[in-house]
Amino acid sequence: MTREEIFNGVQEIFRDIFDEDDLVIEDSTNSDTIEDWDSLNHINLVSAIEKEFKIRFALGELQELKDVGAMIDLMLTKINS
Amino acid sequence: MNEYRFAEIELGLEASFSRTITSEMMTQFLALSGDCNPLHIDSSYAQEKGFEDRVVYGLLSSTFYSTLVGVYLPGKYCILQGIDIQFSKPVFVGDQLSIQGKVSYINEAYQQVEIKAFITNQAGIKVSKAKIKVGVIDD
Repeated sequence: MTREEIFNGVQEIFRDIFDEDDLVIEDSTNSDTIEDWDSLNHINLVSAIEKEFKIRFALGELQELKDVGAMIDLMLTKINS
Repeated sequence: MNEYRFAEIELGLEASFSRTITSEMMTQFLALSGDCNPLHIDSSYAQEKGFEDRVVYGLLSSTFYSTLVGVYLPGKYCILQGIDIQFSKPVFVGDQLSIQGKVSYINEAYQQVEIKAFITNQAGIKVSKAKIKVGVIDD
């Protein structure tokens, strides 16, 4: 799976979780740039990504992520390993 | 009350219980919510609209989803984080409801559990279903 394919899948998940059909994410997107990105929606995002891409995250991995780009890179490693 | 800790919860873990809807419950829910829509308090009006009797508040029967997670699955250490409910059939006073839930997903990183739940009446007809997200605060 390519980074672009993962990115597009993650974007759809963001649109669903935040209920915004035209939401556009970037590598630099983080919880400061999306108003509704609170702790519960963060859990919802992680759960949705785990289920959609059939991967699992450890808490330590998630705590090190600073933005969407870092999440995509981590996913790329997990999916293609 | 059950006291499942996060480490004890596994996919497929189930719980269930039963409750019968009474007219007293309807009176108490009316007082609590202020929802005086005639569909819930006027049998004649409800029958005019095609129902066999006044319809039980959807959120009254759905309170049992709160009971399901708060008392049974996982029980004591539960904190309700989200619930998505769909109502498929009406409920009436006197209905004997069976509330059932099963763990469908576990988020290990954030100790969140997802439970697929549903409620059936005495005829075995599913009257609603729900996807429930709960945290487990056992530390």
